[in-house]
Amino acid sequence: MKYIALALGLLALPAFAEGENVTIEPPAEVSREDGLAAWDRIYEVASHPRCANCHVGESQRPMWSGPSYGEPRPHGMNVHAGESRMGAEFVACATCHVERASLNDVPHAAPQVAMAWQLAPVEADWFGKSSTEICTQLRDPDLNGGRDFMDLASHLDHDLILHWAWNPGGGREPAPYDLQAHVNDVLAWGVAGYPCEGAPDLEIEEASE
Amino acid sequence: MGRMRTIARRTFLIGSAAIMGGVAFGTYMARRPHDNPLLADLGEGEAAFNPFVKITSEKITLITPHSDVGQGVRHMQALLIAEELDVEPGQFETDFGMPDAAYYNTALGDEGAPFMSRDESATAETMRTVVGYVIKLMGVQGTGGSSSVPDSFEKLRMAGATARETLKLAASQQSGVPVDQLKTANGAVQLPDGTELAYTELAGIAAGIEPPRNVPLRDKSEWRLIGKETKRLDITEKSTGLAMYGIDLKMDGMVYAAVRFNPRQGGAINGYDASAAEGMRGVSKIVDVKDGVAVVADNTWRAFQAVEAIEIDWGDAPYPAEQDAHWKALSESFTEERLDSEWRHDGDVPAGLSNGETIDVEYRAPYVAHAPLEPLNAIVRITDEQVEIWSAHQLPRTVEDYVAAITGHPVENVHFYNLYGGGSFGHRLEFEHIRYATEVANSMRGTPVKLTYTREEDFAHDFPRQIAMGRASAVVKDGKLETYDLKIAAPSSSASQMPRANIPAPPGPDMQIVSGAWNMPYKIDNLRVTAYRVPELAPISSWRSVGASHAGFMSEGALDEFLIAAGQDPMEGRLALCDFDIAKKCLEAVAEMSDWGSDLGENRGRGVAFVSSFGVPTAEVVEVTNTPDGIKIDKVFVAADVGTVVDPINFDNHVKGGVIWGLGHAMNSEITYADGMAEQTNYHAAEGMRLYQTPEIHVRGLENASKIRGIGEPPVPPAAPALANAIFAATGTRIREMPFNKFISFV
Amino acid sequence: MKLTVNGTDHEVDVEDDMPLLWVLRDELGVTGVKYGCGIAQCGACTVHMDGLAVRSCQVAASSADGTEITTIEGLGTPESLHAVQEAWIEHQVAQCGYCQSGQIMQAAALLDQNDDPDDETIDIVMSGNLCRCGTYPRIREAVKTAAKKLQEA
Repeated sequence: MKYIALALGLLALPAFAEGENVTIEPPAEVSREDGLAAWDRIYEVASHPRCANCHVGESQRPMWSGPSYGEPRPHGMNVHAGESRMGAEFVACATCHVERASLNDVPHAAPQVAMAWQLAPVEADWFGKSSTEICTQLRDPDLNGGRDFMDLASHLDHDLILHWAWNPGGGREPAPYDLQAHVNDVLAWGVAGYPCEGAPDLEIEEASE
Repeated sequence: MGRMRTIARRTFLIGSAAIMGGVAFGTYMARRPHDNPLLADLGEGEAAFNPFVKITSEKITLITPHSDVGQGVRHMQALLIAEELDVEPGQFETDFGMPDAAYYNTALGDEGAPFMSRDESATAETMRTVVGYVIKLMGVQGTGGSSSVPDSFEKLRMAGATARETLKLAASQQSGVPVDQLKTANGAVQLPDGTELAYTELAGIAAGIEPPRNVPLRDKSEWRLIGKETKRLDITEKSTGLAMYGIDLKMDGMVYAAVRFNPRQGGAINGYDASAAEGMRGVSKIVDVKDGVAVVADNTWRAFQAVEAIEIDWGDAPYPAEQDAHWKALSESFTEERLDSEWRHDGDVPAGLSNGETIDVEYRAPYVAHAPLEPLNAIVRITDEQVEIWSAHQLPRTVEDYVAAITGHPVENVHFYNLYGGGSFGHRLEFEHIRYATEVANSMRGTPVKLTYTREEDFAHDFPRQIAMGRASAVVKDGKLETYDLKIAAPSSSASQMPRANIPAPPGPDMQIVSGAWNMPYKIDNLRVTAYRVPELAPISSWRSVGASHAGFMSEGALDEFLIAAGQDPMEGRLALCDFDIAKKCLEAVAEMSDWGSDLGENRGRGVAFVSSFGVPTAEVVEVTNTPDGIKIDKVFVAADVGTVVDPINFDNHVKGGVIWGLGHAMNSEITYADGMAEQTNYHAAEGMRLYQTPEIHVRGLENASKIRGIGEPPVPPAAPALANAIFAATGTRIREMPFNKFISFV
Repeated sequence: MKLTVNGTDHEVDVEDDMPLLWVLRDELGVTGVKYGCGIAQCGACTVHMDGLAVRSCQVAASSADGTEITTIEGLGTPESLHAVQEAWIEHQVAQCGYCQSGQIMQAAALLDQNDDPDDETIDIVMSGNLCRCGTYPRIREAVKTAAKKLQEA
């Protein structure tokens, strides 16, 4: 079927912009307590509608939730992002979430960024999950794209859909804190050894170098 | 019951119609035809046999004066004329014609007379005729109330037949062959020797012949177009992007306007700061308009952007600012003081209610928007001599009067050109967009101005369906529904709507408060239906099926509960109570179609409802499944009786559309007010049904009724109660308030 | 900005954020594409941009720069109908017709990607296009008929 080719055509657009938005400087040392406090702030971000709505699982259905929606519900119009996570099998996310250099500031219109809109990877299924669940998912390389905290911070720096969460436009409530603070929290949490309340601490192997 | 006595105590629409007309009328006056408006522009050798058929040496034009807002009446009207005129699609053009008294719609009167449509007594028929006379005298040209087919059915066939007979006389004159030896087909008169004289060739002679009167219409058995599957005249242009809606028209020198007026509807504008808008690209003018401000620009989007950039201080709403207060006003209106009329009282309800324990339930229907997909728009060009208006409107003559009152031009110099409407559902009975386009155009005479509402402006000023509350009580004894008392409180949509058209609100009771409920075709020992009139709250208007959209939901939802309380099957119970044969056949049809009584399996349920509105008995069965993701509507079965189905494809499409309209809004749509403004600003908050939610819909048109009726609205009212009843059957949850998604999820 | 609409090249001087919808309708006079909601809720403005269905009310002029646009007028004409339009006419889908340009463009994009869509796919793909008249049952039938036509072509 032709949709694969079309999807690839879409993906051929530059997926990541240059990362020069934040400073990535991990602190030398962070206590477990401060790490947990950093995690709590990370969770506030991760569970916020601006982030969580697209962190859904195998339903492939983005969610609509937030102050103006009442009960959380699946994205209207029977939207299914498909296994491609970008709608290639059905209606491409880009049908409405068109790639665009500037902010689409019209209330209730489609969020747009300068890259192809899509769901987060299926492993990052966070929607409606508890702090502990998301925390253990995010520190598990099998579920986070094989990333350590430095990689996570760098990913945050590069992914324009994530940046949108703090500047969503259209009168939407942005994710809490800001991008730099969120990156700092991820670094602090990682340096503290990825502590998760209610889950055993990881056995961190010392780097051999 | 002494109906005449009851009637004598009331004043009806007819009263106000007579006042509006300001005329004393008699049968003679009323039977006299209006002047034929086509004669005014007729050239040499051109013939217009009546207001509906014009033939020149070039072409045949059929005038289809009913506004086409999607219901396919252009096609239907042309079919009726063509049937008798013996022209085939492709051989004629159609034209909406210019507004004129000759295009009066007497069928509007059927709903103006306070009788059940099943009542064909001499009294009822006389009253309808009288109302029809008034409408004719006043030349009320309107499209609505599912009246286009009943208004057109005989009139337009007769227009075709008289034109045909005149053309035969012309052919006889030209050929010397006696008229009774002439035949007609394919736009030509055929001589016995096979020679064909095209109508267009005969126009010149025919123009000088007085059309014969009382031409007999053909028998149903001879119809070649009516009742047959035909290709809708507009189907190709509407499938290729070529159909011209009001919003698509462009003319030389035209400018683009956008408006914002107080979203607290009817409130004032205290002041505004347009400095941000003034400097915006393409903006040429800021115009003060009634309760608002408009921007003129060189592009619609630029006008939208600029008008949005104006900072405006709005005055308060002349109605309660918060939704709760609207509901409170309704709940406080079940009083003697607010009594509108006791529309029906069989047996003795007070005695029946004291004869056992009562079951008492309350139903609610919210405000809901029409929101046709083409936002309201109008083009107006004004010179010192005349005014021209291009838009889609259901009351074309009223548009001319309305605009004349604003500009001061004599009404005969105000010309309205009707266009296709991208939906209406009652929305194109409003005038504000016409007003604002006129005000802006009047500020820049000579320049055509196209005003387009943003979708948000359209939602803010939708003039939604009336809000309503119903209270039903019953006494059930020994497996029988013995007493059923239904009280409905609602503001009057016509009282709110007509003054906006500069027409006085009709005095007397408003049948729409209980439409579809008071005429329920059931014989119950004690049955009473009472209307309470709530003073106007937010401004409202006619919404596809008007009063029956709330009253049918209430009467059929409550009836379902009471029958079940009596231990009866909802279908069997209705059939047992039904004392009107034509209605009964509709119920029997859907029972058979749906295989009512067969086992649906777990988590599934069926619901039935019957509502007769606009004279059309309509029964519907809805089947649902309670899935983990919510209620899924699987199938709907519909049987409706319009007497004669003129256009079977359009009938089918319309019934399905009406069912989808009824179900979709029952599922998820309402307008609520906060701070005096509608909280729903676009389709994300009021979407109706989408394709994936659409059930399989099976339609049967019955033809047992004696009168022909229109199908635009009647499929709507039974949909919501049938759905509520099906949800109860599947889940045990009884929903008594629309939209249902406040109480249960849908897939 | 430059764009090609139904095979004709155009250069227009508009703001970067003017939606393609209004570039087409008011600047270029292409009115088959309709304004319904302005926020990607109704689909009436659907056109093809470099072969993909897009809601033109959501496409900033800057995003459309250099692209090839096909509107309903470019899909087919009464004299030379696209298979989807043929099917739409055979099933007599339209009532008011205002949403149908968008419906047809969405269906054409679907069938271009997948010429044998199952019911579920049709239900997903066609649910972004709102029809207030409720022509959905006929849209479903017409999509299937169009698919058959394209398979046989």
